[in-house]
Amino acid sequence: MKKGILYLNQFFGQIGGEDKADYAPAIKEGVVGAGLLLNNLLEDAEITHTLICGDNFMGSNQDEAVEKLLGFLEDKEFDIFFAGPAFQAGRYGNACGVICKAVKEKFNVPVITSMHEENPGVDMFKKDVYIFKGGDSAAKMRKDMPKMAKFGNKLLKNEEIKGAEVEGYYPRGIRFEVFLDDETPACDRAIDMLLKKINGEPFVSELPIPELDRVPIAPAIKLADAKIALVTSGGIVPVDNPDKIQSSAATRWGRYSIANLERLGNKAEGAFKTIHAGYDPAAADADPNVVLPLDALKAYEKEGKIGSIHDYYYATVGTGTAEGEAKRMALEIIEYLRNDGVDAVILTSC
Amino acid sequence: MKLEIGNFQVRSIEFGETSSYMDGTLTINKKEALAVVREDEHITDADIVLTKPGDDVRIVPVKEAIEPRFRLNGGPIFPGVTGKIERVGSGKAVALKNCSVLAVGKHWGSFGDGLIDMSGEGAKYTIFSKLNNICLVADTDEEFERHEQQKKNHAIRWAAHRLAEYLGSIVKDMTPESTELFELGPITKREKKVNDLPSVVYVMQPQSQIEESGFNVLNYGWDTNRMLPTYMHPNEILDGAMIGASYMCCSSKWSTYDFQNCPTIKSLYKEHGKTINFLGIIMSNLNVSLEQKERAAMFVQQIASNLGADAAIIAEEGYGNTDADFIECFRLLEEAGIKTVGMTNECTGSDGTSQPLAALDVSADAIVSCGNVSTLIELPAMGTVIGELESLMRDGLSGGWEDDDVLGPSVREDGSIIMANDSMFCGDSVLGQSIKTVKEF
Repeated sequence: MKKGILYLNQFFGQIGGEDKADYAPAIKEGVVGAGLLLNNLLEDAEITHTLICGDNFMGSNQDEAVEKLLGFLEDKEFDIFFAGPAFQAGRYGNACGVICKAVKEKFNVPVITSMHEENPGVDMFKKDVYIFKGGDSAAKMRKDMPKMAKFGNKLLKNEEIKGAEVEGYYPRGIRFEVFLDDETPACDRAIDMLLKKINGEPFVSELPIPELDRVPIAPAIKLADAKIALVTSGGIVPVDNPDKIQSSAATRWGRYSIANLERLGNKAEGAFKTIHAGYDPAAADADPNVVLPLDALKAYEKEGKIGSIHDYYYATVGTGTAEGEAKRMALEIIEYLRNDGVDAVILTSC
Repeated sequence: MKLEIGNFQVRSIEFGETSSYMDGTLTINKKEALAVVREDEHITDADIVLTKPGDDVRIVPVKEAIEPRFRLNGGPIFPGVTGKIERVGSGKAVALKNCSVLAVGKHWGSFGDGLIDMSGEGAKYTIFSKLNNICLVADTDEEFERHEQQKKNHAIRWAAHRLAEYLGSIVKDMTPESTELFELGPITKREKKVNDLPSVVYVMQPQSQIEESGFNVLNYGWDTNRMLPTYMHPNEILDGAMIGASYMCCSSKWSTYDFQNCPTIKSLYKEHGKTINFLGIIMSNLNVSLEQKERAAMFVQQIASNLGADAAIIAEEGYGNTDADFIECFRLLEEAGIKTVGMTNECTGSDGTSQPLAALDVSADAIVSCGNVSTLIELPAMGTVIGELESLMRDGLSGGWEDDDVLGPSVREDGSIIMANDSMFCGDSVLGQSIKTVKEF
């Protein structure tokens, strides 16, 4: 028999109403209040413990609440964690999201909650937590709890998960390929979508355009004093590619000294080349400075146009490179740039 | 234009004394077939290996696929490639269905090459697992590119085209088992009831991103990198005008076989006169610089508008950089009031959280997603490998790697593999056959 733990607020944990919203974190053995329903719905698992915390306590003392609640769990064995449902209650929704995320990070078990679409907790935590689409008030308990339990049963039995829409949780921004059960080929899906679009009927795009992550243009700096670094996704590396950066879909990057160089030597000289598989390498192999313009930057330095050049350059390959990997690599590179007091970066592609 | 393709359903293939076809069995005189392959002196080593669905076989590195055809009114099946330039799309041809000629490197792979498993878990990832495959396994003296990651693969791809034509010729004097008719008249000469239907263009964006000739999709033998978008008749596409590229991550790639059998064109034909008025093809391309991308999209918008298109389907052969061409074209078509549906694949990273396309725009509100290049695929060893398994990790195939901190090398000592869908041979079938999509998890 698998084991689960449930988080409830003071109200659903039967401590009391709004007057008990400051109730400090507690753990109780077995099921309390709404937990009874969940326990009955789980097929091959039982709720062994219930965590309870007042919504205001969590709201005003979040770090302390989380620390205490996680502390209660340290000596417990459990396979799954539930919270709520939180319906449209904003503070409760936040609490469910906070504790689910923390439990997932610390204990690496699946975490499940439920909220109404207008609960602010949905947008705050849908990327980290399975949040099921729930009703707006406690009157929907008998509808919402079974959805959580059903999915929990599925996870515990390692059954195939069919995606956010089919299962009923909010999309988490995680996209994977699936084979369609009905095997409708893409051409037929396209014609069907096109006819609907022509006729003004509703249709569902298979790739909804996500919100764009735009970076504002940074404020200007004084170039004459600035330390400038060169970073490239154009795949310029020492000829032996010491960090084995991949030619496409890169997950690796390298940091290479240019401290004593006036310009980058080329492939024939055994110095630098490109490993980028997304463009014709001929020009970059003959003169890597066309992708990583060290020669031009050195000239600026001599003219006094810029203060200095950072002693290292940073390189990866930007073809077929997942945007998430690119972001991670950038954050890793930024640490070096910050530590070395770099003021500005010239980012070149290919 | 009116095109008649006489079909012969190949159910089994064997070698024999005389090349012939009878009751679904294709017999190949290997010596004769290899002589056609060897017409090019750059082919230094060649063999033909047969494999069928269900075989315990893995094929890699696969460079090209072609459906065997023969043109009955004379002329080459691939004008400007296997013979002189002449217009295609009219007249009669014969085709060996349910089979394909595969160009396979005996040793060496390149970035755009792919993998096919003929049975087991891996067989679901490409339609070429379901065909009887005639594998031309060859090596060449193209020393200049032997160790390059990007190869033109000219000798072996062209040899496969000749072989496909030779095989097609086997049935040239026989009565086809069935006939497919593709007929579409000039736009201004159609009946009123057809003209009154919503008119649709199919915009194709084949791969053309390499500046040097020899890597890109060819249009009547002409490098599509050197081309501005142009209007074409759908029959030309089905009848050998287009030759697949050597360059492009393989699951995104459109082989010559895919062009010859383009499912979206066939679906548009099916709807023509019923729900739509199929205007034809705008053959565009995919470019490197922003100005080139904008110029091509502008031409597509202009042609579609002046043909009077009400709606469009647009298909992209690639991902990443080329998403900019796809999205810009989508945006300009919508801007011109042309209701557009896009077909493409995605790159969401191994954890699924990356932005699915490198370029996005709110106008692209109707997309059919045909697969995810990032999907990690782990497959057991197969009994036989046609080609050379090491090429998957050694030669820079887009979905293979020499080493990875977490996953290890793509090819393991026991012959099992781990790879990205990126290198499944023409696996995402953006031309219409894909039964995959991408969903939120």
